[in-house]
Formats: sequence, C-alpha cells, structure tokens
Amino acid sequence: MDDFLDARGVGDLFHFLLFMLYLGTAPSEISPILNTRAFLVLLGVSLGAGAAFAENPPPQQINLNEFPAETVNEVVVPVPSEVFAVLEKLGNPNWRAELGPAKTFSATADRAQDALLLGTVIADGFIAVEAEDSERVKDIGRNVLTLAEAINVRKSVVARSNSIIQKADARQWDAVRREFDGALQDVNQAMAELNDEQLAQLVSLGGWLRGTQALTSIVDAKYSEQRAELLYQPLLVEYFSRQLSKMSPRLRGKEIVGDIRRTLDKIDPLVSKPDGNIPPESVTKIHNITSGVVDRIRSKAG
Amino acid sequence: MNFFSLPRLLRAACLAALLFAGSAALAYVDDAMSFAYEAANPYAEKGWIIREDAWGGDLGEGDKKAVTAQLFRGNNYVFFLGTDVEGAKLRVNVYDAGGKLAESNSWQEGKFAYAEVKPQSTGTYYIVVEVLSSPEERTGWALVYGFRR
Repeated sequence: MDDFLDARGVGDLFHFLLFMLYLGTAPSEISPILNTRAFLVLLGVSLGAGAAFAENPPPQQINLNEFPAETVNEVVVPVPSEVFAVLEKLGNPNWRAELGPAKTFSATADRAQDALLLGTVIADGFIAVEAEDSERVKDIGRNVLTLAEAINVRKSVVARSNSIIQKADARQWDAVRREFDGALQDVNQAMAELNDEQLAQLVSLGGWLRGTQALTSIVDAKYSEQRAELLYQPLLVEYFSRQLSKMSPRLRGKEIVGDIRRTLDKIDPLVSKPDGNIPPESVTKIHNITSGVVDRIRSKAG
Repeated sequence: MNFFSLPRLLRAACLAALLFAGSAALAYVDDAMSFAYEAANPYAEKGWIIREDAWGGDLGEGDKKAVTAQLFRGNNYVFFLGTDVEGAKLRVNVYDAGGKLAESNSWQEGKFAYAEVKPQSTGTYYIVVEVLSSPEERTGWALVYGFRR
C-alpha cells in the first residue's frame, strides 16, 4: 500500500479514487467499475492533469550565472525580527539589557544623519517588542514620528506611529512587529516619491547596523556556533556597500557615510567566510565595530 | 484659442498622456501585489508574519527573474507570487547559494504560486520567479514573503 500511496505524479484525485476502491470493494468488484466510461474519462482527466503538473518540474540545480546582473540588485533585506525570532528559539536573550536606558533622539540638521538615526530607532522598536516593553515601544513609536518629520515623511508614518502605540497598549506584539515593518516600508515609499531613495537606503542601513549590534551582543554573551551562524550575512554587507558606492557625491562626501563605508569594509571579511563559521573573536569584533558606528550616528542627536 | 495657450494645452496633454501611461504600467504590478497578498492571507491568519515589503515587475513567457534573499536557519519561510493576468501560469522556486533547489514544497494555484523553505543553513538564497505560460506578452508579477517564529 505504501507503494500505492507513494506513486505520485498521476494526480491526487486518481489516487484517492483508486484508494477508496481498494479499501471499499473486493477485487472482483473493481473490474466492472474500471470498465465504466465515466471512470475512463476521469482517469484520462486525472492523468492529463498530473502530466501537465509534472511536465515541467523545477530543475534540481540551476546555474546562477545565467541570471542577469540585475538579479543581485533585487535584494530582500530582512527585518530585525527575523533574526531575533531565531535567537529567541536558541535561548532566552536579555532583550531589556539590549535596549539600554530610555532615550529620545532629536533630529539633527543633517538629513542623512537623521535617516540613519531613524533606522536605528526603528530597530530599537523591534528590540523593545522582543522585550515586551510596551512603554518603550510607545516612546519609540513617538520618536519615529519626530525623526520622520525631519526627513519630510511625517505624513506617511503618522498612522503607523498611532497604530504602534495602540497595539503596544494592547500588547499585540506580532501586530506591533508588523507596524514597525510597515513604518519602514512607508518611509521607503514616501522617500521614493520625493526622489530620495538614497536616504531610504540609509534608513535600512541604520536599522541593520543597530540590529547587528544587538545580535552580536547576545551571541557574544552566550556563544554557540548556531547563534553565530546568524551573522553569516555576506549578501547584505555587499548589498549595502554597493548602495553606498552608488550614492551621490554629496552624500558620499558626508563624514558619517564615509565612516559607515569603512565599517562595512571591516565587517565584510568577518561575515563572509565560505563555511559560515564565525568564531567568538569575530563576533566581539563585529560588536565593537557596530557599537562604535551606532554611537557616532547617535552622537549628534541630543 | 489664442496662440499662447496652445503650447500650454499641448504640454498638459503630454503630461496627462505620460501620467496615464505610467499609471497603467504601475497598475498591473499593483494588481499583482494585491493577488500576492491575497495568497498570503491564509498564512497570516495562522500566525505567520507577512512582510510589508514586496518585489515585482513584468516578464515575458518563459522568462525568469531571481531575487536574492538572506534567510536564517531556524525560521520557516513562505514566498507568495501573484499575477493579475487571467490564465497565466507562474511558479516560484527557492535555490541556495550553490544553485541547488532548497524548498521543501512549491505549488501553483490559479493566479498564485507558492514556495515553502526551511533553510538548512543561514545565508544567501535565490527566489526564482518564472512565467511558464501566459496569454499576454508581458505578465505582471509580485512577490511577498512571510516567516514563522
């Protein structure tokens, strides 16, 4: 019977009917049923559907070089909660310790700095959600609004900010995670409409740097290869480096942007080992590097 | 109609035409995105976190496109592909950094296609979108994904 059930590719319906016949009728009764026209039509349809489905199965192996170069530009940047979710399963991180003391960051006169700052604050939001600290989440939701105003996208995130506050009050943590993700997308979209995509990339980058700072702190506190593997992110480091190198000379000339380029250059060899094995000393190094740059992003923010 | 108003009218007409063409091109990606989110709905109801970010474009019949993603071992992921083209058959598959098929399951249902993956290692993955057949010359598509904690 196992062989019978495992004989896939002929169509589930056909399987089901034959199986019912197999269970519900004696062999002598099967034969007349198999000879009816309705059954033969059904068999034909089932075989046809099965064949159509099986005619073009996905290749088991593809040559990635066959894809155009633009492929690498289409990168899915994960939100911090994707990696935090795994960390949560691997232990019980002290999220409150990662949040540190409550602080509200005010806008600077520099939009690039404010975009990076907004990214770090949104990442703080994800950490506060892991800590299930509703007061901090609400403060961060309000801070997101202040910083969004500094980069002219306040209108786009007002609804998100309010929703973050309401859902944090209701302790609907998954909903709050979605709202922070949504705030990131709203900022991206609003900036694209203002032809400010490069600032949107700085928001993502700020978030990634702050998220990596928290991740390395947790892995460093209780090292295991499985936890450290979460830092194996060569694609993202390369992607962010490429985005920075394509920025306008005005943005590239900014001290903080240059600082981040150098930061990524330092992180790249530490997270790009082909075996994906990141030793404890590398985790500490990445933590020190990201902590330094996050401090510099926040240093002018009052 | 005076002489000076003509260029302005022409300019307005050109602008309107451009806006119309642009919005028509964007509309089918928006529609495809609605379908991709529609495909994701049952998963959201089961507690999957569906990302708000989405990727999209249009492809000719037989064309493929890959989107790169950083996936983490320990999470489960589902990729949802949607199209607005009636009768089009699309599929989505997930490959690892070595080009090996990595998904645990993939299937297609009408305007939707799905691929589930439970990464065996943390790293770079390629989400390959393909138009198998379509009644249209170009087929709009949109891709969203979700993960489960």
